Order: sequence, then C-alpha cells, then structure tokens
Amino acid sequence: MTRIIGILAALIILSAGTLKAQDDISPSRKQAIDSLALEKVRDLSKYISIIGNKDTPWSEANRVIERTLELFADGALMGVSSLSREDVNYYGVREYLERLMALNYDKVNISWYNIQYISDLERQPDGRYVGVITIYQRFEGTTNEGLRYVDVTKKDVTVYVERKTTQISGRIIGFWDVLLGDIRVSETKPG
Amino acid sequence: MLRNAIFFILILAMPSHAPAQLFNSLLGDESVLNAQTKQVNQFFRRFNGEENARGERFYPSDKDYRNPELRRKYLNVLFDQQNASMTDPLRESFVREVLSQNNPQFLNFHGGQWFAEVTTKFLYQGKEENLTLFMKLEKENLGHKWVISNVYFRHFYQMFSNNQETGSHFLHPLSHELDFMNLIRVFKDKEFVELYTDKDYQPDYLTLFLYEFKKGNLKFINVRDVKFHFFQVEGWYFELSEFNRPGSNSGWLISGLLKIDDSQKDILMKYIYHE
Repeated sequence: MTRIIGILAALIILSAGTLKAQDDISPSRKQAIDSLALEKVRDLSKYISIIGNKDTPWSEANRVIERTLELFADGALMGVSSLSREDVNYYGVREYLERLMALNYDKVNISWYNIQYISDLERQPDGRYVGVITIYQRFEGTTNEGLRYVDVTKKDVTVYVERKTTQISGRIIGFWDVLLGDIRVSETKPG
Repeated sequence: MLRNAIFFILILAMPSHAPAQLFNSLLGDESVLNAQTKQVNQFFRRFNGEENARGERFYPSDKDYRNPELRRKYLNVLFDQQNASMTDPLRESFVREVLSQNNPQFLNFHGGQWFAEVTTKFLYQGKEENLTLFMKLEKENLGHKWVISNVYFRHFYQMFSNNQETGSHFLHPLSHELDFMNLIRVFKDKEFVELYTDKDYQPDYLTLFLYEFKKGNLKFINVRDVKFHFFQVEGWYFELSEFNRPGSNSGWLISGLLKIDDSQKDILMKYIYHE
C-alpha cells in the first residue's frame, strides 16, 4: 500500500515528465525525489517503532514487518556495529526486524531525532541513482526488574532512485521510483 | 530544526577551541548531531560551501553558493581539533590557500586524486586477519562505481623480500647452453626466488589477493574501518577519518594534513600503500 502511495506521489510530483524526459535530475526534481525518499525513510522509522514496541500484538508486528520489507530492494542488508565491539554484524532486513521484535525487554521505547541528512544523488553504471539518508534513533529498553538499556544509533540508509514508466489512459508517463537499500547502523555518542 | 541550525551557526561563529559541550547542555543532543559532519558527502559540501547550516544544498544559482566567508567558517570546523600535529599555522596556511582569491580550491567528487583505505577482516589460515583494500571511483557506462585498486596484507608483504642484492642468487649468462638446468637451484629455496626476477618486477598484491580469495583461502568477515586520502588540493595532502565521539567536533573530519610537493607526493603514496 505504501509503495502504491509512493508511486502515485511520484506521479503527481513529476507528472510533467514524459517518456522522453531527461534522465538528469534538476535541483527542483532532486527536492521532489528527496521528499519521496524521506517519506519512505519516515515510514521505515514508524514501522521500526511499531515492531519494537512490546505493546504491539505479535500478529500486527508480523504484518508491519511485511510492509517494511516492501520498502526495500531485494537482498538489502543491515550492517550493525556497537561501541562495545569493533565488529560489524550483517543481517538481512527481515532477520533484523525479527530480532528487534524478539528483544528481551518488558518495555521498549524507540524515538527518532528530528535530524536527517540527505546526500546528493550519484548515478551508478546501470543508470539508477543512489543516495544516502542519515537519521538518528534513540532506543530504550527496560526490564520488569528495572534494568534499563539506552543507546543512540546513527542509521545511514541507502536510497535507490530509478526512472520508470507506466501507462495511464493510453499515455506513457515517466516517474521516479524510490527503494531503500543497505543500512549501516552504528551506535553513536551524541552528547 | 531551526534551533539546531541556530546552534550550528553559533558553532561556526565561535573560536574553534571553545567548549561545544556548554552549548550541548543548553540545547540537547540534536544540535550536536546537526553540527557533526554526518556523511563524507557533507564534508565535500561544507568544504566547498555548498550547503546551509540546516544541511540543505546550495546550487550555483543560489546567492551563497561557494561563498568564501561561509567556506572559511565551515573549513575551521572540519579539522579534528584534538590532533595536536595539525598546528594552527599549518591549518591557517591550508585554509588561506584553499580560499585564495585567484585560485580557490574545491573538492570534486568525480575529480580523482582521492581514494579510500578500507580496513577489513578476513579469515586466513584459520585466523582472523586485517587486510586493507584501497578503493577508488571509476566511471563506467552511465555512472560511477567504487573499485579495488590495491591491497595490503601483512602475509603477502612479508612473503616478498625487499632485498635487491642478488649476491650469489643469479642464473649465470650461459645458463641457456645447459637448458637452464641450474633452475633447480632457483626453486630449492623459497626465500630467494624473487631475486631471480627482472629488476622492474613488483609483486601484484591485488592479483595475489584475488587468487587466494578464489582458492577459498581468504574468507571475508567484515569492514573494520574506513578513511580517505585526498590529493586534490594543490600542494597539500589530507586524510579524512570518522570520529564517533561526543561533541560537535565529530563525524568526518580532517585527521591529518601535510604540505607536499610532487616528489613528496610519490613518497607519501608509497607509504600509504606500504610499498
């Protein structure tokens, strides 16, 4: 559903573009694509908060995991590092979300800082564009015994932007589609 | 968001050594996150004066695009302030040349003369070992991609002697008359075999790495660290590293700075590549 809304939004934003429209991205088009990409990242943030929340019923959390996966390109990975160890662990997105759902806390609160940074879009050899959006998450987990764990993680989210076409009332319309890719999750020291 | 931008403007306006922590306690964590250089992309933009304090991009038609005063403020916060080897006179000299009225220097993402040094961990002979990949941007078809241009691996390096003195290790000039039967002596001892190669021979560690990887002798575990080497500013070299620490002087910052000429550049490249 989110994906359909995203595509429709892209169509509305960029309906001036025809099939022959240039593949180059003007500043105003970049801003429109940024908004679309940011919307997907916000969806991801919202879904992560729901999945991590201990009050979310199991069936609902699983449904949200499926919706989250729709935001991603196939095979996307999460590379997770923490301050306590040098290693980066790699997880598939589903595995990452399922681990989040299964965390052994009685109460979990996930909130997001009102900071995001959107990179330029760079073109890949296959013609798709790629960018990175950086966001920050605060995680707080508490057990019934009162043990509390808090971390702040920086999430660098890969964003793939691809020009696609669709046919509406016999007219071929070009639009930009956005999919999320690999995410680097690193614990950070913001204070 | 506006509050964060105001904080960052304050950071830009204050002397570089002023205690940012003071502002942190006033305004909270978000302002610090806003001030830190969050991506390499942001380092480029700040260095060139191509974004505002909120991180929004300037384009050539914008009034403040590459504004020298804005650049001066940004440049002063792009150094690792805890690195005593980058003295004030050195940094000032660098900033002065970067902002030169006649020949201002800008970083160009596609301009070459910068590359990444990626420390990775591989499993080799049953043990976890660090292996360094040197990576550069390369154009292909419609866009660009990062490619591996060189490798440093301690085990490869140690295997090839730098000893150029052949001593008694050579094939005499009439060896051909005996069907090179003296090759038996060449391959008797692993330690000296490279002394029998031509004088321009250089071991190709990248090929060696690919060979060992394809043979299954090297298994990738993860990436441990990334830094970048820049030679784009005329007469200068700088290193860019990520600092994950409290305070606004964090994120991607210049972690090393040297004034160099062309001959020193070659020496430095060899040093970086462990050649």
